[in-house]
Amino acid sequence: MDVKTLTKLTKWMETTDLEEITWRNGEDKISLKLNNNPEQSAAIASSMEPVLSPTIGIFRFARPGKTNHLKEGSSVKNGQELGVVEVGKDFKAVTAPSNGLLKIISIEDGKPVEYGQPLFFVEPR
Amino acid sequence: MFKKVLIANRGEIAVRVIRTLREMGIGSVAVYSEADRSSLHVRLADESVCIGPAMARESYLSIPAIISAAKVTGADAVHPGYGFLSENAEFSAACRDNGITFIGPSPESIQMLGHKAEARKMAVKAGVPVTPGTKDCVKKDFKKEAEKVGFPLMIKAAAGGGGKGIRIVREASQLEKEMTMASSEAKAAFGNGDVYFERYIELPRHIEVQFARDSHGNVIAFPERDCSIQRRHQKLVEETPSPAVSKKLRESLEKAAVQLAEAADYVGVGTVEFLLTQNGEFYFMEVNTRLQVEHPVTEYITGFDLVKEQLLAASGEKLTHTGSHSVPYRGHSIEHRINAEDFSRNFAPSVGRVEEWMVPGGNGIRVDTHVYAGYNLPVYYDSMLAKLVIWAPTRAEAVERSRRALAEFKVRGVKTTIDAHQLIIQDADFKAGKTDTGFMERLLAPAEPVKA
Repeated sequence: MDVKTLTKLTKWMETTDLEEITWRNGEDKISLKLNNNPEQSAAIASSMEPVLSPTIGIFRFARPGKTNHLKEGSSVKNGQELGVVEVGKDFKAVTAPSNGLLKIISIEDGKPVEYGQPLFFVEPR
Repeated sequence: MFKKVLIANRGEIAVRVIRTLREMGIGSVAVYSEADRSSLHVRLADESVCIGPAMARESYLSIPAIISAAKVTGADAVHPGYGFLSENAEFSAACRDNGITFIGPSPESIQMLGHKAEARKMAVKAGVPVTPGTKDCVKKDFKKEAEKVGFPLMIKAAAGGGGKGIRIVREASQLEKEMTMASSEAKAAFGNGDVYFERYIELPRHIEVQFARDSHGNVIAFPERDCSIQRRHQKLVEETPSPAVSKKLRESLEKAAVQLAEAADYVGVGTVEFLLTQNGEFYFMEVNTRLQVEHPVTEYITGFDLVKEQLLAASGEKLTHTGSHSVPYRGHSIEHRINAEDFSRNFAPSVGRVEEWMVPGGNGIRVDTHVYAGYNLPVYYDSMLAKLVIWAPTRAEAVERSRRALAEFKVRGVKTTIDAHQLIIQDADFKAGKTDTGFMERLLAPAEPVKA
Protein backbone atom coordinates (compact mmCIF):
# COMPACT_ATOMS: atom_id res chain seq x y z
CA MET A 1 0.00 0.00 0.00
CA ASP A 2 1.39 3.39 -0.88
CA VAL A 3 1.46 6.44 1.35
CA LYS A 4 -1.27 8.34 -0.43
CA THR A 5 -3.72 5.48 -0.10
CA LEU A 6 -2.83 5.07 3.54
CA THR A 7 -3.33 8.76 4.27
CA LYS A 8 -6.60 8.77 2.36
CA LEU A 9 -7.76 5.69 4.21
CA THR A 10 -6.99 7.18 7.61
CA LYS A 11 -8.69 10.47 6.73
CA TRP A 12 -11.71 8.59 5.41
CA MET A 13 -11.91 6.45 8.54
CA GLU A 14 -12.08 9.56 10.67
CA THR A 15 -15.26 10.58 8.86
CA THR A 16 -16.97 7.24 9.56
CA ASP A 17 -18.01 5.32 12.64
CA LEU A 18 -15.35 2.69 11.93
CA GLU A 19 -12.84 2.17 14.67
CA GLU A 20 -10.68 -0.49 13.12
CA ILE A 21 -9.91 -1.81 9.65
CA THR A 22 -7.57 -4.59 8.42
CA TRP A 23 -6.06 -4.82 4.96
CA ARG A 24 -4.33 -7.95 3.65
CA ASN A 25 -2.38 -8.58 0.49
CA GLY A 26 -0.34 -11.75 0.44
CA GLU A 27 2.09 -11.53 3.34
CA ASP A 28 1.57 -7.83 3.98
CA LYS A 29 -1.02 -6.86 6.51
CA ILE A 30 -2.01 -3.50 7.88
CA SER A 31 -4.49 -2.89 10.67
CA LEU A 32 -5.59 0.66 11.26
CA LYS A 33 -7.20 1.55 14.53
CA LEU A 34 -8.48 5.04 15.24
CA ASN A 35 -7.57 6.56 18.55
CA ASN A 36 -10.96 7.71 19.79
CA ASN A 37 -10.10 7.20 23.39
CA PRO A 38 -7.81 9.99 24.57
CA GLU A 39 -6.54 7.82 27.42
CA GLN A 40 -4.89 5.46 24.92
CA SER A 41 -2.07 7.07 23.09
CA ALA A 42 -1.21 4.53 20.37
CA ALA A 43 -2.73 5.90 17.18
CA ILE A 44 -2.33 2.80 15.05
CA ALA A 45 -2.00 -0.89 15.82
CA SER A 46 -0.08 -2.92 13.27
CA SER A 47 2.75 -5.40 12.90
CA MET A 48 4.72 -2.39 11.78
CA GLU A 49 5.81 0.23 14.23
CA PRO A 50 4.67 3.76 13.48
CA VAL A 51 7.14 6.62 13.94
CA LEU A 52 5.13 9.54 15.25
CA SER A 53 5.88 13.22 14.95
CA PRO A 54 7.32 14.50 18.26
CA THR A 55 5.81 17.95 17.72
CA ILE A 56 3.73 20.12 15.45
CA GLY A 57 5.84 21.82 12.79
CA ILE A 58 7.38 21.38 9.35
CA PHE A 59 8.94 18.03 8.49
CA ARG A 60 12.39 17.85 6.87
CA PHE A 61 14.23 14.71 5.88
CA ALA A 62 17.50 16.35 6.87
CA ARG A 63 18.82 19.27 8.90
CA PRO A 64 19.78 22.39 6.91
CA GLY A 65 22.81 21.73 4.68
CA LYS A 66 22.57 17.96 5.13
CA THR A 67 21.07 15.29 2.91
CA ASN A 68 19.32 12.08 3.69
CA HIS A 69 18.86 9.20 1.28
CA LEU A 70 16.06 7.28 2.96
CA LYS A 71 14.02 5.03 0.70
CA GLU A 72 11.19 2.67 1.39
CA GLY A 73 12.89 -0.68 1.94
CA SER A 74 16.05 0.80 3.47
CA SER A 75 17.22 -0.83 6.64
CA VAL A 76 17.33 1.43 9.69
CA LYS A 77 19.01 1.19 13.07
CA ASN A 78 17.44 1.87 16.44
CA GLY A 79 17.88 5.58 17.22
CA GLN A 80 18.85 6.52 13.68
CA GLU A 81 17.64 9.98 12.69
CA LEU A 82 15.00 9.67 9.97
CA GLY A 83 14.28 13.36 9.78
CA VAL A 84 13.52 16.44 11.84
CA VAL A 85 10.48 18.55 12.62
CA GLU A 86 11.09 22.25 12.55
CA VAL A 87 9.22 24.10 15.27
CA GLY A 88 10.18 27.72 15.79
CA LYS A 89 13.97 27.79 15.74
CA ASP A 90 14.21 24.23 17.00
CA PHE A 91 14.67 20.98 15.11
CA LYS A 92 13.20 17.99 16.90
CA ALA A 93 14.70 14.67 15.82
CA VAL A 94 12.53 11.89 14.45
CA THR A 95 14.31 8.62 15.21
CA ALA A 96 13.79 4.97 14.34
CA PRO A 97 12.20 3.10 17.27
CA SER A 98 14.05 -0.18 16.51
CA ASN A 99 16.30 -1.98 14.05
CA GLY A 100 14.35 -2.98 10.99
CA LEU A 101 13.13 -2.17 7.54
CA LEU A 102 11.66 1.16 6.64
CA LYS A 103 8.43 -0.05 5.03
CA ILE A 104 6.47 3.15 4.53
CA ILE A 105 7.38 6.81 4.30
CA SER A 106 4.11 8.65 4.88
CA ILE A 107 5.45 12.17 4.74
CA GLU A 108 7.00 14.50 2.19
CA ASP A 109 9.76 17.00 2.77
CA GLY A 110 8.57 20.47 3.84
CA LYS A 111 5.06 19.33 4.76
CA PRO A 112 3.36 20.51 7.95
CA VAL A 113 2.81 17.78 10.53
CA GLU A 114 0.75 17.58 13.69
CA TYR A 115 1.88 16.26 17.03
CA GLY A 116 1.51 12.47 17.00
CA GLN A 117 1.11 12.18 13.22
CA PRO A 118 2.61 8.93 11.81
CA LEU A 119 5.59 9.83 9.59
CA PHE A 120 7.14 6.41 8.95
CA PHE A 121 6.33 2.76 9.47
CA VAL A 122 9.17 0.46 10.43
CA GLU A 123 9.02 -3.31 10.44
CA PRO A 124 11.22 -4.43 13.33
CA ARG A 125 13.75 -7.21 12.69
CA MET B 1 -10.56 42.27 9.54
CA PHE B 2 -8.82 38.93 9.99
CA LYS B 3 -9.43 36.04 7.59
CA LYS B 4 -8.55 33.20 9.91
CA VAL B 5 -8.11 33.16 13.68
CA LEU B 6 -6.45 30.44 15.73
CA ILE B 7 -7.83 29.93 19.23
CA ALA B 8 -4.98 29.10 21.60
CA ASN B 9 -7.25 27.59 24.20
CA ARG B 10 -9.70 24.79 24.93
CA GLY B 11 -13.01 24.20 26.66
CA GLU B 12 -15.99 26.51 26.68
CA ILE B 13 -14.01 29.66 25.88
CA ALA B 14 -12.67 28.14 22.64
CA VAL B 15 -16.25 27.24 21.69
CA ARG B 16 -17.43 30.74 22.60
CA VAL B 17 -14.77 32.42 20.44
CA ILE B 18 -15.44 30.12 17.47
CA ARG B 19 -19.13 31.13 17.57
CA THR B 20 -18.36 34.83 17.16
CA LEU B 21 -15.80 34.11 14.44
CA ARG B 22 -18.42 32.15 12.52
CA GLU B 23 -20.98 34.95 12.85
CA MET B 24 -18.41 37.41 11.52
CA GLY B 25 -17.46 35.13 8.61
CA ILE B 26 -13.92 34.58 9.92
CA GLY B 27 -12.27 31.16 9.62
CA SER B 28 -11.43 29.35 12.86
CA VAL B 29 -8.59 27.03 13.81
CA ALA B 30 -8.82 24.92 16.96
CA VAL B 31 -5.68 23.59 18.59
CA TYR B 32 -5.89 20.62 20.90
CA SER B 33 -3.82 18.32 23.04
CA GLU B 34 -4.03 14.57 22.72
CA ALA B 35 -6.44 14.49 25.67
CA ASP B 36 -8.86 16.86 23.92
CA ARG B 37 -9.22 15.06 20.60
CA SER B 38 -12.95 14.62 21.19
CA SER B 39 -13.62 18.03 22.75
CA LEU B 40 -16.37 20.21 21.31
CA HIS B 41 -14.11 23.05 20.16
CA VAL B 42 -12.30 20.61 17.86
CA ARG B 43 -15.60 19.58 16.30
CA LEU B 44 -16.91 23.13 15.86
CA ALA B 45 -13.86 24.80 14.35
CA ASP B 46 -13.30 25.00 10.59
CA GLU B 47 -9.87 23.42 11.03
CA SER B 48 -8.14 21.74 13.92
CA VAL B 49 -4.62 20.72 14.67
CA CYS B 50 -3.04 18.59 17.39
CA ILE B 51 -0.28 20.57 19.09
CA GLY B 52 1.02 18.20 21.73
CA PRO B 53 0.48 15.73 24.55
CA ALA B 54 -2.05 16.12 27.37
CA MET B 55 0.26 18.05 29.70
CA ALA B 56 -0.57 21.74 29.17
CA ARG B 57 3.09 22.68 29.46
CA GLU B 58 3.78 20.83 26.22
CA SER B 59 0.59 21.82 24.39
CA TYR B 60 -1.60 24.78 25.41
CA LEU B 61 1.33 26.47 27.15
CA SER B 62 3.90 25.75 24.45
CA ILE B 63 4.59 28.98 22.60
CA PRO B 64 6.60 27.35 19.74
CA ALA B 65 3.86 24.74 19.17
CA ILE B 66 1.11 27.35 18.97
CA ILE B 67 3.08 29.75 16.76
CA SER B 68 3.91 26.80 14.53
CA ALA B 69 0.22 25.81 14.38
CA ALA B 70 -0.71 29.35 13.34
CA LYS B 71 1.92 29.35 10.60
CA VAL B 72 1.03 25.87 9.32
CA THR B 73 -2.67 26.75 9.09
CA GLY B 74 -2.08 30.28 7.78
CA ALA B 75 -3.94 31.99 10.63
CA ASP B 76 -3.39 35.75 10.69
CA ALA B 77 -4.37 36.21 14.34
CA VAL B 78 -4.42 34.30 17.62
CA HIS B 79 -7.12 34.56 20.27
CA PRO B 80 -5.70 33.43 23.62
CA GLY B 81 -8.97 33.04 25.56
CA TYR B 82 -8.41 33.18 29.33
CA GLY B 83 -5.86 31.29 31.42
CA PHE B 84 -3.00 29.49 29.62
CA LEU B 85 -1.03 32.06 27.56
CA SER B 86 -3.63 34.85 27.66
CA GLU B 87 -1.61 37.11 29.96
CA ASN B 88 1.82 36.04 28.82
CA ALA B 89 3.83 38.97 27.47
CA GLU B 90 6.35 36.60 25.89
CA PHE B 91 3.57 34.97 23.86
CA SER B 92 2.16 38.32 22.76
CA ALA B 93 5.69 39.28 21.64
CA ALA B 94 6.24 35.93 19.87
CA CYS B 95 3.05 36.48 17.86
CA ARG B 96 4.17 39.96 16.88
CA ASP B 97 7.66 38.72 15.88
CA ASN B 98 6.08 36.11 13.63
CA GLY B 99 3.70 38.51 11.91
CA ILE B 100 0.63 37.15 13.68
CA THR B 101 -1.75 39.49 15.49
CA PHE B 102 -2.22 38.70 19.16
CA ILE B 103 -5.85 39.44 20.05
CA GLY B 104 -5.09 41.20 23.29
CA PRO B 105 -2.91 43.99 24.54
CA SER B 106 0.72 44.58 23.54
CA PRO B 107 3.50 42.75 25.42
CA GLU B 108 4.34 46.09 27.07
CA SER B 109 0.78 46.55 28.39
CA ILE B 110 0.64 42.98 29.66
CA GLN B 111 3.97 43.38 31.40
CA MET B 112 3.04 46.68 32.97
CA LEU B 113 -0.45 45.75 34.12
CA GLY B 114 0.24 42.08 34.84
CA HIS B 115 2.95 42.92 37.36
CA LYS B 116 0.81 43.92 40.32
CA ALA B 117 3.17 46.45 41.83
CA GLU B 118 3.65 48.13 38.43
CA ALA B 119 -0.12 48.16 37.90
CA ARG B 120 -0.56 49.83 41.28
CA LYS B 121 1.85 52.57 40.29
CA MET B 122 -0.08 53.03 37.06
CA ALA B 123 -3.35 53.30 39.04
CA VAL B 124 -1.86 55.96 41.30
CA LYS B 125 -0.67 57.86 38.23
CA ALA B 126 -4.13 57.63 36.67
CA GLY B 127 -5.74 59.00 39.82
CA VAL B 128 -7.45 55.75 40.78
CA PRO B 129 -7.68 55.07 44.53
CA VAL B 130 -5.50 52.20 45.76
CA THR B 131 -5.57 50.31 49.07
CA PRO B 132 -3.08 51.56 51.60
CA GLY B 133 0.08 49.57 51.04
CA THR B 134 3.71 49.61 49.98
CA LYS B 135 4.49 51.48 46.79
CA ASP B 136 7.02 48.89 45.66
CA CYS B 137 8.04 45.34 46.38
CA VAL B 138 9.27 45.07 49.93
CA LYS B 139 12.96 44.54 50.69
CA LYS B 140 14.91 43.93 53.88
CA ASP B 141 13.16 46.67 55.88
CA PHE B 142 9.82 44.90 55.50
CA LYS B 143 9.03 45.17 59.23
CA LYS B 144 9.06 48.95 59.12
CA GLU B 145 6.95 48.89 55.94
CA ALA B 146 4.43 46.57 57.60
CA GLU B 147 4.02 48.94 60.56
CA LYS B 148 3.27 51.78 58.15
CA VAL B 149 0.59 49.78 56.30
CA GLY B 150 -0.95 48.48 59.54
CA PHE B 151 -2.44 45.11 60.47
CA PRO B 152 -4.19 43.03 59.30
CA LEU B 153 -2.26 43.10 56.04
CA MET B 154 -1.84 40.94 52.98
CA ILE B 155 1.43 39.73 51.51
CA LYS B 156 0.93 39.48 47.76
CA ALA B 157 3.16 37.98 45.11
CA ALA B 158 4.07 40.59 42.51
CA ALA B 159 3.71 38.06 39.70
CA GLY B 160 0.66 36.30 41.20
CA GLY B 161 -2.95 36.14 40.10
CA GLY B 162 -6.20 34.23 40.35
CA GLY B 163 -6.07 34.36 44.13
CA LYS B 164 -2.75 32.56 44.27
CA GLY B 165 0.21 33.86 46.23
CA ILE B 166 -1.72 35.78 48.90
CA ARG B 167 -1.11 35.47 52.66
CA ILE B 168 -2.94 37.32 55.38
CA VAL B 169 -1.00 38.46 58.44
CA ARG B 170 -3.16 39.50 61.40
CA GLU B 171 -0.43 40.57 63.84
CA ALA B 172 3.17 41.71 63.77
CA SER B 173 4.46 38.58 65.54
CA GLN B 174 3.55 36.39 62.55
CA LEU B 175 5.07 38.67 59.96
CA GLU B 176 8.56 37.20 59.67
CA LYS B 177 7.36 33.59 59.31
CA GLU B 178 4.64 34.45 56.78
CA MET B 179 7.03 36.64 54.85
CA THR B 180 9.50 33.79 54.37
CA MET B 181 6.76 31.42 53.27
CA ALA B 182 5.11 33.90 50.91
CA SER B 183 8.39 34.70 49.23
CA SER B 184 9.44 31.08 48.70
CA GLU B 185 5.93 30.17 47.52
CA ALA B 186 5.95 33.00 45.03
CA LYS B 187 9.37 31.93 43.82
CA ALA B 188 8.20 28.34 43.31
CA ALA B 189 4.86 29.21 41.70
CA PHE B 190 5.73 32.20 39.54
CA GLY B 191 9.53 32.11 39.29
CA ASN B 192 9.64 35.51 40.97
CA GLY B 193 9.92 35.89 44.74
CA ASP B 194 8.96 39.60 44.84
CA VAL B 195 6.14 40.42 47.24
CA TYR B 196 4.43 43.58 48.45
CA PHE B 197 2.06 44.55 51.29
CA GLU B 198 -1.47 45.76 51.18
CA ARG B 199 -3.93 46.58 53.95
CA TYR B 200 -6.36 43.71 54.40
CA ILE B 201 -9.93 44.94 54.12
CA GLU B 202 -12.39 42.88 56.15
CA LEU B 203 -15.33 41.48 54.18
CA PRO B 204 -15.11 43.62 51.08
CA ARG B 205 -17.09 43.15 47.92
CA HIS B 206 -15.22 42.18 44.79
CA ILE B 207 -16.34 44.62 42.11
CA GLU B 208 -14.86 44.81 38.64
CA VAL B 209 -15.29 46.99 35.60
CA GLN B 210 -14.99 45.65 32.10
CA PHE B 211 -13.55 48.09 29.62
CA ALA B 212 -12.71 48.08 25.92
CA ARG B 213 -10.43 50.48 24.09
CA ASP B 214 -9.45 50.71 20.43
CA SER B 215 -6.36 52.17 18.81
CA HIS B 216 -8.33 55.30 17.88
CA GLY B 217 -8.74 56.16 21.55
CA ASN B 218 -12.40 55.15 21.94
CA VAL B 219 -13.03 53.70 25.39
CA ILE B 220 -16.10 52.02 26.82
CA ALA B 221 -16.49 51.13 30.49
CA PHE B 222 -19.31 48.68 31.08
CA PRO B 223 -21.53 48.50 34.19
CA GLU B 224 -19.75 46.81 37.11
CA ARG B 225 -19.78 43.11 37.85
CA ASP B 226 -20.08 41.86 41.42
CA CYS B 227 -17.96 38.75 41.96
CA SER B 228 -18.11 38.58 45.75
CA ILE B 229 -19.28 34.97 45.88
CA GLN B 230 -15.94 33.19 46.00
CA ARG B 231 -14.54 30.14 47.62
CA ARG B 232 -10.80 30.21 48.30
CA HIS B 233 -10.47 33.18 45.95
CA GLN B 234 -12.15 31.26 43.12
CA LYS B 235 -15.28 32.93 41.80
CA LEU B 236 -18.48 30.89 41.84
CA VAL B 237 -21.26 33.39 41.07
CA GLU B 238 -20.95 36.71 39.28
CA GLU B 239 -23.67 39.25 38.63
CA THR B 240 -24.23 42.62 37.03
CA PRO B 241 -25.13 45.25 38.02
CA SER B 242 -24.03 44.95 41.64
CA PRO B 243 -26.82 45.30 44.20
CA ALA B 244 -24.43 47.42 46.26
CA VAL B 245 -23.56 50.00 43.62
CA SER B 246 -25.55 53.21 43.17
CA LYS B 247 -25.72 55.18 39.94
CA LYS B 248 -23.25 57.70 41.36
CA LEU B 249 -20.79 55.02 42.48
CA ARG B 250 -21.12 53.32 39.08
CA GLU B 251 -20.10 56.54 37.38
CA SER B 252 -17.03 56.81 39.61
CA LEU B 253 -16.05 53.19 38.98
CA GLU B 254 -16.45 53.55 35.21
CA LYS B 255 -14.50 56.80 35.24
CA ALA B 256 -11.64 55.09 37.10
CA ALA B 257 -11.53 52.27 34.53
CA VAL B 258 -11.48 54.72 31.63
CA GLN B 259 -8.67 56.74 33.22
CA LEU B 260 -6.62 53.61 33.76
CA ALA B 261 -7.15 52.33 30.22
CA GLU B 262 -6.10 55.68 28.83
CA ALA B 263 -3.10 56.04 31.12
CA ALA B 264 -1.84 52.61 30.05
CA ASP B 265 -2.60 53.31 26.35
CA TYR B 266 -4.37 49.97 26.41
CA VAL B 267 -5.80 48.42 23.24
CA GLY B 268 -8.26 45.55 23.63
CA VAL B 269 -10.64 44.46 26.35
CA GLY B 270 -9.62 44.28 29.96
CA THR B 271 -11.01 44.35 33.46
CA VAL B 272 -10.13 46.47 36.46
CA GLU B 273 -10.80 44.76 39.76
CA PHE B 274 -11.72 46.80 42.80
CA LEU B 275 -12.41 46.10 46.44
CA LEU B 276 -15.55 47.82 47.64
CA THR B 277 -15.68 48.40 51.39
CA GLN B 278 -18.86 48.17 53.45
CA ASN B 279 -18.82 52.01 53.55
CA GLY B 280 -18.89 52.32 49.77
CA GLU B 281 -15.22 53.25 49.23
CA PHE B 282 -13.46 51.46 46.42
CA TYR B 283 -9.82 50.60 45.93
CA PHE B 284 -7.93 49.42 42.87
CA MET B 285 -6.87 45.79 43.13
CA GLU B 286 -5.54 44.63 39.76
CA VAL B 287 -6.07 44.62 36.00
CA ASN B 288 -6.81 41.48 34.02
CA THR B 289 -5.47 41.95 30.50
CA ARG B 290 -7.73 39.36 28.92
CA LEU B 291 -11.32 38.38 28.33
CA GLN B 292 -12.73 37.11 31.61
CA VAL B 293 -14.70 33.99 32.41
CA GLU B 294 -17.64 36.09 33.58
CA HIS B 295 -17.85 38.35 30.50
CA PRO B 296 -21.26 36.93 29.38
CA VAL B 297 -23.17 38.73 32.16
CA THR B 298 -21.97 42.03 30.73
CA GLU B 299 -22.96 40.90 27.24
CA TYR B 300 -26.41 39.95 28.49
CA ILE B 301 -27.36 43.31 29.99
CA THR B 302 -25.68 45.51 27.35
CA GLY B 303 -26.18 43.50 24.16
CA PHE B 304 -22.48 43.74 23.25
CA ASP B 305 -20.38 40.85 21.93
CA LEU B 306 -17.09 41.35 23.75
CA VAL B 307 -15.18 38.93 21.52
CA LYS B 308 -16.29 40.98 18.53
CA GLU B 309 -15.02 44.14 20.26
CA GLN B 310 -11.70 42.35 20.86
CA LEU B 311 -11.43 41.44 17.19
CA LEU B 312 -12.27 45.00 16.11
CA ALA B 313 -9.72 46.53 18.48
CA ALA B 314 -7.01 44.02 17.53
CA SER B 315 -7.47 44.58 13.80
CA GLY B 316 -7.17 48.35 14.21
CA GLU B 317 -10.84 49.09 13.62
CA LYS B 318 -13.18 51.10 15.83
CA LEU B 319 -15.31 49.64 18.60
CA THR B 320 -19.01 49.29 17.74
CA HIS B 321 -19.85 52.05 20.22
CA THR B 322 -18.03 55.38 20.06
CA GLY B 323 -18.68 58.86 21.31
CA SER B 324 -19.30 58.13 24.98
CA HIS B 325 -17.59 56.10 27.68
CA SER B 326 -20.66 54.46 29.14
CA VAL B 327 -23.36 52.34 27.54
CA PRO B 328 -26.99 51.76 28.49
CA TYR B 329 -27.97 48.45 30.04
CA ARG B 330 -31.16 46.63 30.75
CA GLY B 331 -32.13 44.17 33.48
CA HIS B 332 -29.94 41.94 35.61
CA SER B 333 -27.67 39.01 34.82
CA ILE B 334 -26.22 36.25 37.00
CA GLU B 335 -23.59 33.67 36.06
CA HIS B 336 -23.18 30.32 37.79
CA ARG B 337 -19.92 28.45 37.24
CA ILE B 338 -20.76 24.77 37.03
CA ASN B 339 -17.62 22.84 37.95
CA ALA B 340 -16.90 19.13 38.10
CA GLU B 341 -16.43 19.18 41.84
CA ASP B 342 -18.07 17.25 44.62
CA PHE B 343 -19.75 19.83 46.81
CA SER B 344 -20.47 17.25 49.52
CA ARG B 345 -16.77 16.31 49.72
CA ASN B 346 -15.32 19.78 50.17
CA PHE B 347 -15.33 20.52 46.42
CA ALA B 348 -12.99 17.62 45.56
CA PRO B 349 -12.44 17.37 41.79
CA SER B 350 -14.61 14.81 40.04
CA VAL B 351 -13.57 13.09 36.82
CA GLY B 352 -15.04 10.50 34.50
CA ARG B 353 -17.49 10.18 31.66
CA VAL B 354 -20.46 12.53 31.50
CA GLU B 355 -23.29 10.00 31.12
CA GLU B 356 -26.18 12.45 31.06
CA TRP B 357 -26.03 16.12 30.15
CA MET B 358 -29.28 18.02 29.98
CA VAL B 359 -28.90 21.78 30.00
CA PRO B 360 -31.64 24.24 30.93
CA GLY B 361 -33.17 26.50 28.31
CA GLY B 362 -35.95 28.96 27.72
CA ASN B 363 -36.23 32.70 28.05
CA GLY B 364 -33.21 34.50 29.49
CA ILE B 365 -30.90 31.51 29.71
CA ARG B 366 -27.51 31.07 28.07
CA VAL B 367 -25.27 28.06 28.62
CA ASP B 368 -21.64 28.29 27.48
CA THR B 369 -20.06 24.84 27.53
CA HIS B 370 -17.85 22.37 25.70
CA VAL B 371 -19.46 19.35 27.35
CA TYR B 372 -21.91 16.89 25.79
CA ALA B 373 -23.37 13.52 26.81
CA GLY B 374 -20.64 10.90 26.43
CA TYR B 375 -17.82 13.40 26.96
CA ASN B 376 -14.80 12.06 28.81
CA LEU B 377 -13.59 14.67 31.22
CA PRO B 378 -9.77 14.90 31.00
CA VAL B 379 -7.98 15.14 34.33
CA TYR B 380 -5.34 17.55 33.10
CA TYR B 381 -7.21 20.85 33.01
CA ASP B 382 -9.49 23.04 35.11
CA SER B 383 -12.76 21.64 36.34
CA MET B 384 -15.21 24.04 34.73
CA LEU B 385 -17.95 22.24 32.79
CA ALA B 386 -20.27 25.09 31.92
CA LYS B 387 -21.32 28.63 32.63
CA LEU B 388 -25.01 29.02 33.26
CA VAL B 389 -25.90 32.64 32.55
CA ILE B 390 -29.28 34.11 33.47
CA TRP B 391 -30.97 37.32 32.38
CA ALA B 392 -34.17 38.82 33.76
CA PRO B 393 -35.64 42.33 33.96
CA THR B 394 -34.92 42.59 37.71
CA ARG B 395 -32.54 40.93 40.17
CA ALA B 396 -35.38 39.22 42.04
CA GLU B 397 -36.67 37.70 38.82
CA ALA B 398 -33.16 36.67 37.82
CA VAL B 399 -32.76 34.78 41.11
CA GLU B 400 -36.06 32.98 40.51
CA ARG B 401 -34.96 32.14 36.98
CA SER B 402 -31.65 30.80 38.35
CA ARG B 403 -33.60 28.55 40.69
CA ARG B 404 -35.68 27.22 37.81
CA ALA B 405 -32.65 26.72 35.53
CA LEU B 406 -30.53 24.97 38.17
CA ALA B 407 -33.38 22.55 38.81
CA GLU B 408 -33.54 21.75 35.07
CA PHE B 409 -29.79 21.15 34.82
CA LYS B 410 -29.28 17.35 34.93
CA VAL B 411 -25.81 15.83 34.98
CA ARG B 412 -24.94 12.21 35.65
CA GLY B 413 -21.52 10.56 35.64
CA VAL B 414 -19.61 13.34 37.35
CA LYS B 415 -20.37 15.37 40.46
CA THR B 416 -21.02 19.06 39.88
CA THR B 417 -21.39 22.28 41.84
CA ILE B 418 -25.06 22.63 40.83
CA ASP B 419 -26.03 21.75 44.43
CA ALA B 420 -23.81 24.49 45.78
CA HIS B 421 -25.44 27.05 43.49
CA GLN B 422 -28.89 25.97 44.62
CA LEU B 423 -27.81 26.54 48.19
CA ILE B 424 -26.43 29.99 47.32
CA ILE B 425 -29.55 31.30 45.60
CA GLN B 426 -31.83 30.07 48.38
CA ASP B 427 -29.85 31.97 50.98
CA ALA B 428 -31.70 34.96 52.47
CA ASP B 429 -28.59 37.20 52.37
CA PHE B 430 -28.01 36.39 48.72
CA LYS B 431 -31.63 37.12 47.87
CA ALA B 432 -31.30 40.44 49.67
CA GLY B 433 -28.10 41.23 47.76
CA LYS B 434 -26.08 41.28 50.99
CA THR B 435 -22.94 39.49 49.85
CA ASP B 436 -19.24 39.94 50.43
CA THR B 437 -16.16 37.78 49.94
CA GLY B 438 -16.87 36.00 53.25
CA PHE B 439 -20.27 34.80 52.02
CA MET B 440 -19.27 31.26 51.02
CA GLU B 441 -17.38 30.62 54.22
CA ARG B 442 -20.44 31.56 56.26
CA LEU B 443 -22.77 29.59 53.98
CA LEU B 444 -20.69 26.42 54.20
CA ALA B 445 -19.77 26.69 57.87
CA PRO B 446 -22.76 24.76 59.29
CA ALA B 447 -22.35 22.06 56.64
CA GLU B 448 -18.80 21.22 57.67
CA PRO B 449 -18.70 17.88 59.49
CA VAL B 450 -18.01 18.06 63.21
CA LYS B 451 -14.61 16.64 64.10
CA ALA B 452 -14.80 13.60 66.36
